This record gives sequence, C-alpha cells and structure tokens, in this order.
Amino acid sequence: MKRQVPLVLCFLFGVGIILTRFSPHPYSQFFYEEVNSWVLIITPFALVLATVTLIRAHVTRIRRRTEYWQYSFIVFAGIITMVVIGVPYGPQHFVFEWLFNNIQVPMDATMFSLLAFFIASAAYRAFRARSFEATLLLVTAIIVMLGNVPVGDLIWSETSSVKQWILNNPNLSARRGIILGVSLGVISQSIRIILGIERSYLGGGD
Amino acid sequence: MLDKLMNMDRRIVFILVALAVIIPTKLRVNLPISVSEPTQKLYDYIDNLEADSTIMIAFNYGPAGLPELHPMGRAVLKQCFDKDVRVIGVTLAPDAPTLANTLMEEIAQESGAVAGKDYVFLGYRPGGSLVMLGMGTSIASVFENDYNGTALAEIPIMENITNYDQISLLVDFASGNTTEGWINYANTQYNLQIASGVTGVIIAQMYPFLQTGQLVGLIAGIAGAAEYERLIDAPAKGMQWINIESFVHLLIVGLVILGNIAFFIRNRQEE
Repeated sequence: MKRQVPLVLCFLFGVGIILTRFSPHPYSQFFYEEVNSWVLIITPFALVLATVTLIRAHVTRIRRRTEYWQYSFIVFAGIITMVVIGVPYGPQHFVFEWLFNNIQVPMDATMFSLLAFFIASAAYRAFRARSFEATLLLVTAIIVMLGNVPVGDLIWSETSSVKQWILNNPNLSARRGIILGVSLGVISQSIRIILGIERSYLGGGD
Repeated sequence: MLDKLMNMDRRIVFILVALAVIIPTKLRVNLPISVSEPTQKLYDYIDNLEADSTIMIAFNYGPAGLPELHPMGRAVLKQCFDKDVRVIGVTLAPDAPTLANTLMEEIAQESGAVAGKDYVFLGYRPGGSLVMLGMGTSIASVFENDYNGTALAEIPIMENITNYDQISLLVDFASGNTTEGWINYANTQYNLQIASGVTGVIIAQMYPFLQTGQLVGLIAGIAGAAEYERLIDAPAKGMQWINIESFVHLLIVGLVILGNIAFFIRNRQEE
C-alpha cells in the first residue's frame, strides 16, 4: 500500500497532465491550472526539507567531531541570524539587507572570483598540443577567448568574426545534438516513471 | 629551464593574474568595442517597442553572477525607463531579491521612473518551471503581492496585466539554466518572446535557441554588457571590466603559448 498509492497517484497525474496538453476543453484547463496551483503550494516545503537536512547534517558533524566541525557553528549562527531577522521583519529590513550586502555578497563574489586564478593556472598546465584533437581544442579556445574581448580584434580584425562562426556552426551543431539526446532521455525516463517502471524516486532501493 | 617553465609554480600564475587585473584598473584603459549581432537584436527589439509597453525581467542570479549580470541589467533597465517601457521584475533565485530590488530602485531613481507606475518588483517565488507556467495563466495566482507586500490589484502598472498576453518581452538574466525553462514553458506554450543575458560559461548553450528565433536576442557575459552600454551610450562597469578582462585573456593565451613552446622544444630535444 505504501508503494502502490504513490505509483497510482504518479500515473494518474502524469497521464492527466499530458492529456490536458491535447485538449482546450474548460475542464481540462481547470484541471491543469488546479494541479499547477497545488504544486506551487507544495514546492516551498522542499525548502523546509532542505533546511532540516542541513541542520541534521551539521548536528551530526558536531556530535562526531569530524574534521572542521567547528565551522558548523558558523552555519548555525548564519541560519539563526537570518531567520530571526528575515522571518518576522522580511528581507526588506535594513539589518537583513546590511548582512546580505556586506557579508553574503562579498563572500559569494570572492569565492567565484577565485575561479579566475585557478582557471588561469589549469589552462596553463592542461592546454598542450599533444595530439590533433588537443591542438584543435587549443586553437579554438584561443580564438574564442580573444574573440570575446576587444583586444582580439586589435590583434587580428577577423577574430570576433571567426569566434562568431565557431559559436554559430560547430558549437551550435554539437549543442543541438546534445539537446536532442537529453530530450529523448527525459521523455523515455518520464514515461518509465509515469508507468511505474522506474521506481527509484520512491526510495528503498527497489 | 624548460621543465621549470612547463611546471611553473601556480603562485606565479596567480600573481600574474592579479597584476593583469590591477594594472589596467589603475591605468583605466579604453579599448574599442564592437557590437555583436545577438546584442544588437535585443537592443533593437526593445528600441522598437511602443511607449507604455510592458516587459518582464527575471533576475535569476545571486552574488556570484553579480559582476557579469548586474551591468547588463542596469543597461537594459536604463533603456526601458528612458523609452517609457514599463518593467515588471521577478526572480526565481532565493538569493536574488535584495540585489534585484536595489538595482531597480537605483536605476529608477537615476531615470526618474516611478515605483508602481513605471516599474514593480514582485520578488521571489519557489517552484521554477511551475512559476513560469503559472504566470502564463495568471500572474496574480503566483504573485499575490509585490516585494513590499502591496496587493497586485492596488499597483497601477498591474491594472491591465493578467498574464503573458500583455507582456511584450521577457528578459532573463541568468547564471543558471533558467533561460531554457522560459523557452520551454513560456515561449513554446504561451508564445511569450524571450531574450536572455547570461554569464560567460552559458553563452555557448544559447546559440541553438538564437538560431531558431526562440531567443530574440542575447547579451553574452560581460562583453555583451559592455556592448549594450555602448549602444545606450552610457559607459559603466561593463565597459570598464571588459577592458580589464582583455588583459587577463591575453595573459592566459600568452601563458598557454609559452607552455606549448616549451613543450615542443623539450619534445624535440628528447627525440
């Protein structure tokens, strides 16, 4: 029963929503809009689940004294501070905005900015013309990198045109192939889930 | 010597990158910027909208995407306010509301746009694709209030707006894959015109949609932001940062070429 009910619900709603896409009848549209509203209401509960999971994971880290367990207290301090200010007063409150603008924004931007240093170092080590394919990748990367900045056209006036050609032709063709492949995969996986063949989302390792 | 060059200490690379950022910042270098076709298309699309048209802007990025996406958001908002095109802001990213609201207020103040009449920021709703689908039927069914808690019915700009039928364009500023979602759910199902401004790493993914016309235009990374600033004739962070980025790219290309020269010489010697 514990497994049958979710499977039946999944089948009914899956098939039901697919059918609404083929019928402009008012009942069909009502069902579609109603189900969308339900899901919009259910979705925020995922945030609650995520918060609970995060808290449990860090409580376990502190209990077991795993490596860098002390940092888990910073996680709790952050969550508690933002919740205490954000929930009663809203994100428009000046303290919430100050904490966001002066702590989260610089920290997040710093983490992302560090990538530039690591990418530069990795590019220097990895981009070696060891084979024909590696050389092709190397030349393409150099053209696209230079074509993306104004200095590229100063070196060679056709740099940005060649970059645009690479993006419009080989890149576009490869991307379209990937999109088609992924879409077919999504369709087949969805059918498997709706028909109850794929059940891993229920958990329990079946 | 060759081995040293090929296995250069990463700290030297880090210092070189830092210098490639700091020196052009101090020297305030200005390189000529040419406008790419996808950026021009978006500019033209908004430029051809009638006054009092309404566009929707989705600010789908957090602080990490801010340096690339804020300049383009600033430029598009400025163009809209200068042309009397009304703007409805939304976000599907939980860490974006404060950034988006501040940006809209800032540009509105500069351009003399009035909150509630010329623009409104509706805030954040969880649900991603469901929010996109829901607004196709009724925006009020997804956002009952704006970011400041005012009911949608009391906001003048929302008076004649029910769903996507009254929206001329959606511009998605994204550091993730939300643009594909807007295309799948808002363009394909509700025929809403979509344009996008994305971070550098996503640019290549957008080209299939540009070719099919599912994207009416694209602002590609900080280079796109600089191009847009040039088009609206309002140089700002985009133009400043693309010049700095030029030097970092030059440095990386130089290092790669240097590494390969050392690699070839060593290979020759070994042979």
